[in-house]
Amino acid sequence: MNQQLVFERQVKPFFVGGLIRKILPYVLAIIASLAAAGLFIAAMGFDVWHAYVTILGTSFRTPNGFVQTLLKFVPLLLQALAFTVPLAAGKFNIGGEGQMIVGAIGATAIGILLKDLPAPVLLPLVILAGVGLGAFWGLIPGWLLYRYRVNEILSTVLLNFVSFQLLNYIATEVWADSAAGHPTTVPIAAAGQLPMLIGNPPLNAGIILALAVAAGIYIFTSRTVGGYELIATGANPRAAQVFGIDGRKLSLLALVLGGALAGLSGSIEIAGVQHRLIEGMQSNYLLLGIIIGLIAKGNNLAVPFVAFFIAVLEVGASAMQRTLMIPGEMVFIVEALVLLFVLLSDVIRRR
Amino acid sequence: MTNTAVLEMRGVCKAFDGLLALDHVDFRLGAGEIHGLLGGNGAGKTTLMNILYGLYRADAGEIILRGQKVDIRSPKDAIEHHIGMVHQHFLQVESFTVAENIVPGTPIKNILRLDLKEAAARIAALGEKFGLSIDPAARIEDLSMGARQRVEILKALYRGAQILILDEPTTNLTPQEVDSLFHIVRAMVREGMSVVFITHKLREVLAVCDRITVLRDGRNVLTLRRDDATEEEFVRAMVGENLDIRRSIIFSGRATADTPLSPRLKKEPNSPHSQGAGEAISGRTPVLQVEGLNVLEGGVPVVRQCSFNVRSAEIFGIAGVAGNGQLPLAEVVMGIRPATQGRVLVFGQDVAAIGTAGLLAMGVAYVPEDRLRDGFLPGANVAQNLILGSHRDAPYARGGFLDWKTIFRVSHDLIAQYNIRTAGPAETGGNLSGGNIQRVLIARAFARPARLLVAHNPTRGLDIPSTEFVYSKLLERKAHGDATLLISEDLDELLLLSDRIGVIYKGEIVGVLERGAFDRQALGRLMSGVRT
Repeated sequence: MNQQLVFERQVKPFFVGGLIRKILPYVLAIIASLAAAGLFIAAMGFDVWHAYVTILGTSFRTPNGFVQTLLKFVPLLLQALAFTVPLAAGKFNIGGEGQMIVGAIGATAIGILLKDLPAPVLLPLVILAGVGLGAFWGLIPGWLLYRYRVNEILSTVLLNFVSFQLLNYIATEVWADSAAGHPTTVPIAAAGQLPMLIGNPPLNAGIILALAVAAGIYIFTSRTVGGYELIATGANPRAAQVFGIDGRKLSLLALVLGGALAGLSGSIEIAGVQHRLIEGMQSNYLLLGIIIGLIAKGNNLAVPFVAFFIAVLEVGASAMQRTLMIPGEMVFIVEALVLLFVLLSDVIRRR
Repeated sequence: MTNTAVLEMRGVCKAFDGLLALDHVDFRLGAGEIHGLLGGNGAGKTTLMNILYGLYRADAGEIILRGQKVDIRSPKDAIEHHIGMVHQHFLQVESFTVAENIVPGTPIKNILRLDLKEAAARIAALGEKFGLSIDPAARIEDLSMGARQRVEILKALYRGAQILILDEPTTNLTPQEVDSLFHIVRAMVREGMSVVFITHKLREVLAVCDRITVLRDGRNVLTLRRDDATEEEFVRAMVGENLDIRRSIIFSGRATADTPLSPRLKKEPNSPHSQGAGEAISGRTPVLQVEGLNVLEGGVPVVRQCSFNVRSAEIFGIAGVAGNGQLPLAEVVMGIRPATQGRVLVFGQDVAAIGTAGLLAMGVAYVPEDRLRDGFLPGANVAQNLILGSHRDAPYARGGFLDWKTIFRVSHDLIAQYNIRTAGPAETGGNLSGGNIQRVLIARAFARPARLLVAHNPTRGLDIPSTEFVYSKLLERKAHGDATLLISEDLDELLLLSDRIGVIYKGEIVGVLERGAFDRQALGRLMSGVRT
């Protein structure tokens, strides 16, 4: 085969069709899942078109809607990365919410205990406390896996429950806000809070932090030797070991990193949004993070885009519930269908 | 015998990611015939049969079965049309018994009470009929590769296969197992079945097939009765103009390797400075020293008192029947598993201390035996696979960061140089055929100058031109002064390339022969544990 022919037959179709081929299944999956969800909405007797407009449009119609979406986007992005980073090494971190909660506890504790420190010192400490405690919450299952081969799925899930009790104890016994009717702590010092990018509607600087971290994670996994070794371990731990990669150590590292990412989402919630520890603050970010990671197929470049899309759906869902009285759970169905259709498109493409 | 066609495939086309795998291929299978489907790696043999078995959908073309056009959309359809397929890599549940592996997927009378007695009796009867001796109650994990393959064949027979496709069935078998497979195939044809035998090994198709179809680059080259053509005609059809047969290493070597020379056997003493080697080689610096090596696996010795040296500019061959300790030996040498006793030195450094990563950094290359388990990342792309093990070093990495531009440039070169059939460096590795995966492993090992290469069955699954290429590379290394430890189950290969051959039996080096004293008979005796 001459060079021209090689290019025509092998190189060109790969690059020209590459991006379209990658994005097309997502677009089709979203259209298909919305169509399927439309059937449900119609069957329940609601106005389908109006529902679509609300789900997809709420984020973009008002400044408030857009800021709400960004505030959802930050924890979703970090939770998704907390899942995909260990996933690259073939490990499942199902402890994102626990790691987020202990991160939030760490941030709150520093924000209350060291309230007299000036902002340039206190704020980094608040953020780092969350990252550190989250990392520690990832270190426990990581070390159990490294040392005793304890299944990380089990240990990460179980540590979530421990974190719930810790939060309860701190919010009711240690720094309880007696005025609140719900387990809540007193607020952290103003010097420990993230500055606002926009005052009204309020958007804190956490999103810059989250995007910078997401960029860093993408560079780490796709451009560094360590990231390569992580992917090699996930792809075939045995072959990685044969070629000199210590997969067990990397798995430990990946779980610690995952914990740190989830911990960061906890400290941003405290320093940027809530300013205090509240029971139930983990919302259902863990589950959504896993869904985002799976829809993105573990690709850390795709994660922010998918996370933003899911944030749009989430904000649209609560609006739909408020204005149209359609149950917000409808959006869960859409999200689940997107995931199913994306996975399905893989199967179809392979044939 | 071949007058009536049970099966015809006409004008079959299939493309993957823009790469044409099959280009208007025709295939005609006669009733009661063993039909060899011959071709190099990526010639399209397996793709064609996967279409027949419903695993892929053809882009164009038709399938005519017993005179009727059929539409096969899934393996289930294929089974209903009495077509069975045995893949190169088996899909079996290791902890289940033979019967438990065979029965699922077939109609079961009572789902709540899985009664396998009747099934076991049928399996045993089928085995009896075709000479596939197997105990339906045996556990898969306890069976040899040959027996596991018989289970796969029984699986197809149990489902009523009349047409059986065997995809590279001899890849993991010993010569004895290959013979028994041929007996089974002949028995099946006597019972009226038709068999498609996919392989790249000419010797096998010539031994067992009635007719042979040769594919190359996804096109028909020729279909001939076995007796109507010479071996050379088939070789030429397979390799095209890519190989000068008269000047090739493989075909030149046959004569010399078969010539019996005076047997002069010497058992190498267990000393680090062995004088067992020939004068010329013994003077050179040892690159690899194995000293009194013992390895236990679950309390059982798998390597026993192994001692030998590999010197610069030497190819040291290890011969032996599969499973006599070759894998643990290779893995201890590469620092992948620890020695129980004794030590391995590479350039005078203890492997236990520097580890696999250290060895790779020193410029040691490794071609593992089990390419899928030990050497390949199916989910990663071709470029990522090509740098595995060299990914920490220049030019691929600098200061902890990977240089993808360089990696892709080098990958493009390697794909062209090693003739890897792929859409490009960014293609997912799992899409590659078995032989192409082996080429990736070979390209990876030869991509960087390595002063020591440990190669375990490096040409397994490779076609003739690729094997030729590997041989020329190995000889190039030798000329360049590099050392090679060549562990192989292919005796021809060892006789052709090695300066010395050590024979391993039950984990022990039972003898070392020098070039000039090579004797097939003596080696064979040593391989079966007979010492002289």
